[in-house]
Amino acid sequence: MTAPLLEVRHLSKEFPLRGLRFGRHRGGTVRAVDDVSFDLYPGETLGLVGESGSGKSTLGRTVLRLFEPTSGEIVFDGEPVTADNAAGLRRRAQIVFQDPYASLPPRMRVRRILADPLLIHEIVSPSQVEERVASLLRDVGLSEEHARAFPHQLSGGQRQRVSIARALAVEPSLVVADEAVSALDVSVQAQILNLMKDLQAGRGLAYLFISHDLGVVRYMSRRIAVMFLGRIVEVGPAAEITSGPLHPYTSTLLAAVPKVGPQRTVTRLDSDHPAPARVDIGCSYRTRCPMAQEVCETDRPELVEWAPGRRSACHFALDVPQRLQASLPVPGSAG
Amino acid sequence: MSDALATVEQTALRSGPIAAGAGRRILRSPFLLVGLVGVTVIAAAAAFAPLIAPDDPTAQNLANILAPPIWVEGGTTDHLLGTDVLGRDVASRILYGARNSLFVAFSAMLLGSSLGLITGLLAGFFGGRVDSILMRLGDVQLAFPFILLAIAILGVVAARPAWLLIVVLGIPGWIVYARVVRSRVLAEKEKDYVAAAAAMGAGPWRRLFRYVFPSVWQVVPVIALLDVGFLIIMESTLSFLGLGLPPPAATWGGILADGRRNMVVSQWLPILPGLAIVVTVLSINLVGDGLAAVFDSRHIHRGLRRPFSSSVPSASPVDTDSEALLSVRGLHVEFPLPGATVKAVRGVDFDLAAGETLGVVGESGSGKSVTASAVIGLLDPPGRITNGAVLFGGEDLARFSDRRMTTLRGRQIAMIFQNPAVSLNPVLTIGFQLREAIRHVTGADRHTVRHTARQVLVAVGIEDPDRISRQYPFQLSGGMNQRVMIAMVLAARPRLLLADEPTTALDTTTQAQILNRLVELTEAEQISLVLITHDIALVSEYADRMLVLYAGEVCEFGPVRQVISQPRHPYTRALLESVPRVEDPAERLQVIPGELPDPRRDRVGCPFADRCPHVMDICREVTPPRYDIAPGHIAACYLWASEPAEAVAT
Repeated sequence: MTAPLLEVRHLSKEFPLRGLRFGRHRGGTVRAVDDVSFDLYPGETLGLVGESGSGKSTLGRTVLRLFEPTSGEIVFDGEPVTADNAAGLRRRAQIVFQDPYASLPPRMRVRRILADPLLIHEIVSPSQVEERVASLLRDVGLSEEHARAFPHQLSGGQRQRVSIARALAVEPSLVVADEAVSALDVSVQAQILNLMKDLQAGRGLAYLFISHDLGVVRYMSRRIAVMFLGRIVEVGPAAEITSGPLHPYTSTLLAAVPKVGPQRTVTRLDSDHPAPARVDIGCSYRTRCPMAQEVCETDRPELVEWAPGRRSACHFALDVPQRLQASLPVPGSAG
Repeated sequence: MSDALATVEQTALRSGPIAAGAGRRILRSPFLLVGLVGVTVIAAAAAFAPLIAPDDPTAQNLANILAPPIWVEGGTTDHLLGTDVLGRDVASRILYGARNSLFVAFSAMLLGSSLGLITGLLAGFFGGRVDSILMRLGDVQLAFPFILLAIAILGVVAARPAWLLIVVLGIPGWIVYARVVRSRVLAEKEKDYVAAAAAMGAGPWRRLFRYVFPSVWQVVPVIALLDVGFLIIMESTLSFLGLGLPPPAATWGGILADGRRNMVVSQWLPILPGLAIVVTVLSINLVGDGLAAVFDSRHIHRGLRRPFSSSVPSASPVDTDSEALLSVRGLHVEFPLPGATVKAVRGVDFDLAAGETLGVVGESGSGKSVTASAVIGLLDPPGRITNGAVLFGGEDLARFSDRRMTTLRGRQIAMIFQNPAVSLNPVLTIGFQLREAIRHVTGADRHTVRHTARQVLVAVGIEDPDRISRQYPFQLSGGMNQRVMIAMVLAARPRLLLADEPTTALDTTTQAQILNRLVELTEAEQISLVLITHDIALVSEYADRMLVLYAGEVCEFGPVRQVISQPRHPYTRALLESVPRVEDPAERLQVIPGELPDPRRDRVGCPFADRCPHVMDICREVTPPRYDIAPGHIAACYLWASEPAEAVAT
């Protein structure tokens, strides 16, 4: 296989807990991203799923150094990314955000939004900007007329297309898509997902595709990483993860996804779980885990390879398929 | 519900220029108009003082001192407002006074606002030490009585040139601007578009001036306008104290001071400049307040009437399902917005039996939330039911008075929303709110209420109801708050519960737990549930029957299993095929090309015609009737007409 485009090693990001008085730090921190490592190959999509608070968005932004990492290493195309050379990363890696209403500058016309990155990086000469803006718009399925519009004059789907065009302007090799379709209606969501797939095929883009929606992630990704409380608990090929998870959390996530079908399937009630606690020792999923044993309270499971290409941070990863599939309801029992 | 209106507004604003609406609102606001006229007249007087003033304001005529104004006995047309103690023409002095006062105040405002804008931008954007230093400076400034400082500075200077006055008056104003600008910058710089600019390599100065600045500077003009009014008073005060522009320059404060000394002889002399000051400052403030209101979107709906149901035309005789608890017939809802009327719901019909769960699916703009709000009589103003009937237990809710609806809401019909935190009071404990709600609907005694509260919390899956009861909404997760909301509405044992995207903001696992509970409880209690969602998979999991809405019209209605396995409307089918599925991933998602039709337009034919792969000529000409596919399963599509030509005739 070729060399990875992006290598992330033991990346952590802590946020200080601010006290109310004078905005001074009171010592405490929240570890939003906790010792995360993964590789992303050129032209590949790595899906990143997790629930709110899992740290997936923070991870996406820290990888782009929009947040300064607390510790760990980011290697992009063989070069370690540091605070000093992060500027180079800005030409190679871009981001598309969730909210199509907040992610575009409200008082700029589309033309200027797209021209700015071209001018900053001197990608084309000023005389060619107009032409390049038009071609970017065409690439994302908009027309030249949209260049004159302000963001508020566009629909949600059109805005998201502009966001994508802005990301593509610098001709990046990596795009972080942070819940890029979550705010869109399903019909528009399908349009944008297909557009992103086409752009990927045409330009050899790699995506770090962050979403809480397993269906969307499954559709877009070759591999999926599942995050829970700041850590990756399982990573592997998309098809294998969704058909036979090796971590109980992945299994719970999959069971909770509503499915279109003739039967009701979401019937397995996880005991109404307590809020997950961030723990220093042991497995942080153990308070919700139906398979938890004594060892889970004392030893933190590492993310290790249990089968070719399949890594899971569970002491009993190989038991997950039997143990949890067995407790799934017989189809139709509650339908 | 607010979501629905936001969508409606978005659509309305998208193509209509905002400025046009603002223009109309200016014309509709009498105070603003009066203020604008006042400011224009005074500004013109100041600007053209040399042309319109009858005399030189400094020309003395000691032969004719303290002449009365024309309307007082002895007044002459030579001096309309009389003369002062040196025989100078008061009218001319007041005109020139306007010129001087406005010039000083306006220049001081420009100085203060520029300083404040720059410091506010820097402090807000860079934060840290820059922010601390600038804001502490501001605190010092605010703690120090600036009029004393001004008096001290101006008192020791013999010649008081205009620039010194401008500096002394202008500089202290910066902090007001700086604070407001800073807080706007703080909010704006956290937005994703600024992060996106950083990601594409825009440096901090570029982000500040090209991205943040255009979104924040608008706060300055309104403050500036009010500031000018304040500065005119300050300038006049200083002049009155003899610390303004040195004599013989005409200033309103100076004339006032002169007048005060001679008021025994000439009562009008102090009143005239006083009037000038009052009228000027009042006009400026009227304009300032008026403009703030015009450009503040929160005021857009002020003055529009609440929905008012007695205007609903009586529904034509309808055949209703006698089994049904709720029968909606030919429901039309409109939002008359400035410039256009959004027709959000256009003839929706459905029936809901007791204890049944109906899933209402559609995308934004489909009218699904508006339909629910109309049923419970909670349409956001200016929305109103313009036609149709909402039959609940045989009575037409659309024709109920507000008062009658109030007695029904919460007892017979309840509703839960996407964001439970908004529906709960943040400063009262969960337990208090829950008990209050139960006491209100049941009128039970304290002991029973307490017992019921505990019971319903347990019923929605809360394991330690006593602890949760003592907590405040902000201490709980979104999922927990939604459970509390469900407990609260179910405690009243309503016959109908409307749930508008109740789990859209929640995580998938929480969604599954909550919906499982909800459906269990409503089935057990024989409560009819309307589950409104954009997620067709959710409906497929939890509903008995489903209603597919598109652009305010019914596409398909029928038993869930049947509609899901045999969708008969091309929109339903497209919707099913455009959802990415975990369990059965598609190689490529089906895409519905195009966008929703404009909700403001009247239309003929099928609303989906422009996006439909099976479109026929007739689809664009005549609205398709609803064809019976199977018992209880209908689809509004000509594909199911036995003979299309026949359908045209009906």
